[in-house]
Amino acid sequence: MNKKVIEVSGLVKEYKNLRAVDGLSFEVYEKEILGFLGPNGSGKSTTINCILSLLKYNEGDIKIFDRKMGPDSYEIKKNIGVIFQDVAVFDELTVYENVDYFCGLYIRSKNTRKEYIQSALELVGLEDYKKFRPKQLSGGLLRRLNIACGIAHKPKLIFLDEPTVAVDPQSRNNILDGIKKLRDGGATVVYTTHYMEEAEQLCDRIIIIDKGRIIAQGTSDSLKKLAKIEEKITVEVSGQAEKLIPKIKELNNVNDVVFENGLLVVSYGGGSDNIGDIIDLFRSNNVKYNKIYSERPTLNDVFLELTGKELRD
Amino acid sequence: MFIHNFKYSLKILFRSKSLVFWTLAFPLIMAVLFNAAFSNIENSENFEPIDIAVVKSDDFEKNIIFKESLKFLSDKSSDKRFFDIEYTNLEKAEELLFDEKITGYLVFEGEDVSVTVNSSGINETILRYVSDEIKSIGGLTENIGKERISELIMSGNTDIDYERIFTNISKDIINEKQNIKDISTENMSYVMIEYYSLIAMTCMYSGILSMVLVNFKSANMCAVGKRSAVSPVKKIGMIMGSLVSGYVVQMLCILLMFLFTIFVIGVDYGENLPMTVLLSIVGSLAGLSMGVAVGTLVKKGDNAKTTILISITMAGCFLSGMMGITMKNIIDKNVPFLNMINPVAMITDGLYALYYNEQFNRVWFDIISLLIFTVVMMFISWRGLRRQTYDSL
Repeated sequence: MNKKVIEVSGLVKEYKNLRAVDGLSFEVYEKEILGFLGPNGSGKSTTINCILSLLKYNEGDIKIFDRKMGPDSYEIKKNIGVIFQDVAVFDELTVYENVDYFCGLYIRSKNTRKEYIQSALELVGLEDYKKFRPKQLSGGLLRRLNIACGIAHKPKLIFLDEPTVAVDPQSRNNILDGIKKLRDGGATVVYTTHYMEEAEQLCDRIIIIDKGRIIAQGTSDSLKKLAKIEEKITVEVSGQAEKLIPKIKELNNVNDVVFENGLLVVSYGGGSDNIGDIIDLFRSNNVKYNKIYSERPTLNDVFLELTGKELRD
Repeated sequence: MFIHNFKYSLKILFRSKSLVFWTLAFPLIMAVLFNAAFSNIENSENFEPIDIAVVKSDDFEKNIIFKESLKFLSDKSSDKRFFDIEYTNLEKAEELLFDEKITGYLVFEGEDVSVTVNSSGINETILRYVSDEIKSIGGLTENIGKERISELIMSGNTDIDYERIFTNISKDIINEKQNIKDISTENMSYVMIEYYSLIAMTCMYSGILSMVLVNFKSANMCAVGKRSAVSPVKKIGMIMGSLVSGYVVQMLCILLMFLFTIFVIGVDYGENLPMTVLLSIVGSLAGLSMGVAVGTLVKKGDNAKTTILISITMAGCFLSGMMGITMKNIIDKNVPFLNMINPVAMITDGLYALYYNEQFNRVWFDIISLLIFTVVMMFISWRGLRRQTYDSL
């Protein structure tokens, strides 16, 4: 296993009447992308802000690169890059100047900086927009600039706090590809999101958080096993399907059957090629359907299983 | 790092349209408006001496206070001449009043003086006011005279020239009264009062620059502040680089303000222009420090802070007489403490003193007051300036 880059133990952060982070303990390992997945208000950003010493916390220990992290830990900060949820750039500066300003807080040499800025702009696909002001950029391009400002100094540890909120699919893919490249280049990434697809697509390991507590952690595949669902088959029914429900329930490995608004959803607890049985049943009973498809369980199913609510509630 | 912050802060300030408007364009626009609004008023209000008559009598001859005062106020060689006086008898005075050749006449009976006018207007009011003022000087003269005579008697001097004592005291008081008027703002031109307030306002607007710059470095204020806070640079170092750039921009605004008012509008700041500029430089420092205090102590957004800062500045301008010099006099008389802590009043007070050329002590007092104000503002902001970790964001 790789070296620990971050060690958090027993982290507690309380606001007046709210325990926003409730005894969080976890580690982040070198060169991995760790996903922090949870609904809005679950404590993801608060945890990141505590780790970065922007927020005071009530209890717990935080170590980064094997050293205690504090507001004056400038040696540690030199190796950290942060991309906040809100776009943090100056409207008055051009794309190039923005990246240069923030990179300049870490790198003194102008020549090195020039090279780094070029590389950061290429990574996020903004090399043609150097002289643009932020207000001239689309939402997606602005998010990419936000990322370039946070990673231009080539940090070893990068925090990305929901960097793809309100971003178009093209920019989102560009951002996710860029993050993978950063990891491949040797950086460790902590990525918070409430988009389960992103977490699945991007992260080596995922921590699911709710109400300030870790409710599960592991790889995407290991987490999905917690959902107790192996396969979910959905049928868009055009005929009378109610009579089929008792017969479907008798099939092997069927956990649950729900029929609502013309959609029949069958959850299987075992196996992954059950769609043939369902098709046979519909045909033999002469019940018509428009569409039938099979899905593997998602992290949302895991969250639903563990908390009883949807991830996006 | 200092230069890096300084350079980019300059770029940000110069390119920010709202900052350029408030710190540079707005004062210049105000200067143009003041010039258009007040210069004509002033020209139309050039004071013409008022024609009055004094009924000659023994009682008038004995009333030294009135005699000396009226002589002073009708001195044709003085630019402070109030009256053109005709010394005559009662019949002639009535005839002149009837023919509207005079505004009114004074009649002396014993120690009493009666003022006769046949209408009400500004000149009639001035005549009555001056008459009352001279009467009050008379009371003062009497008191001081009694004291001086007592002193002479106590020292064993029995050969006392009472008339000479009262004449000297009267002259002293009249001169002193005139001096008191000189150092007040009553005789100052409207336009100069407005320009001085404008300079003070421009100085205080430097607070907007510093407030914005402090916000950019504070994690609890904006996203850019958060990004700066996680960088490996000490916050206070970053802020100092930015504040110096803010001060440079402010100096440029002040310079342009002076150049514009002197060469375009034609304002004459008198012989003490260097001291006027010095006062503005120190005043800008006070403005800058106030912006730092609002930036660090007020937990609101940029717009709310700008509103607060502009409101404080405008309130300061109002209390120091920008919207009517009477307000400054009222505050000085009734709540002097308010203007002692009002940086706008400190600046305008120093500028008024410079206008009268001889009040350098007062100017230095105001400069020191402004420096103390700056130190106090920075002191109360210090904790917020150094702070890097917060209870909430």
